[in-house]
Amino acid sequence: MELKVLYFGMIAEVTGCNEEIILLESNSNVDQLENLLKDKYQNLQHLSFKVAIDKEISANDTLLNPNNEIALLPPFSGG
Amino acid sequence: MNKRKTVFIEGPITPSFIANSIEKHQTKTTIGAHDIFLGQVRADKIEGKIVQAIDYSAYTEMAEGKFHEIREATFSKYDLTCMHIYHSLGKVKAGEICLFVFVSAPHRKVAFEALEFLVEEIKKEVPVFGKEVFEDETHVWKVNKV
Repeated sequence: MELKVLYFGMIAEVTGCNEEIILLESNSNVDQLENLLKDKYQNLQHLSFKVAIDKEISANDTLLNPNNEIALLPPFSGG
Repeated sequence: MNKRKTVFIEGPITPSFIANSIEKHQTKTTIGAHDIFLGQVRADKIEGKIVQAIDYSAYTEMAEGKFHEIREATFSKYDLTCMHIYHSLGKVKAGEICLFVFVSAPHRKVAFEALEFLVEEIKKEVPVFGKEVFEDETHVWKVNKV
C-alpha cells in the first residue's frame, strides 16, 4: 500500500523533504513503518520522534491504511 | 465560543497588538480579572554561540485542533469569561514575543489557575517546532523542558 508521510522540524532536515509516499505491505503497523524509515534514513535512529495518525499521537502497534495522514513529529518546542 | 479561532500569527506578536487586545475587553464589564502570559525569545548561549532568533514551524492542522481541544478543556474546567491564544510562526528575534495567552474571569484566582494550565498544555500538546538560529545562520532545534 502507498502511505503519505509528513515530516516536521529536525525530522524534515534528516529526510530532506516535507512529505513523501512510502510503500509498505498492507496491514503494516506504526512499528513497521518506523523500521523502514530508520533503514532509509539512518540518522533517524538517533532522533526522538512520535508518530501521529490523522493528527493524533498513536501507539506503535496501530495498523495503518492508505487513507491515513501519517506524520513524524520531533519533540515539541512551542511557546 | 465553540468556533475555531485563528491562533497563528506570522512573525512576532507586537506590544501594540497586545494593548489592542486588552482595550477590546473594556466593554466586557462582568470581567474583574485578566491574566496574561507572554513568551519571549531568549538569547541563549549554546556551545559558545548566541541565539539570535527562533524560526517557528508547525503541523498547522494538528496544532489548530489541539489549540481547540485545550480551549474547550480549559473552559470546562475553569469559570472563564474569555480566552485568547496567539502563537508566532516564522522568525521571531531574541527579545520579541512569540506566545500571547490571555484569560479573563470575574475573579482573580480562577484566572491565575487557568492561565498556568493553558500554558503548560500548549507547551506539552501542540506540535510547534522552534529552530534556534545563531548569528552565523547555523541552528539547533529547541526542545521544551517538561
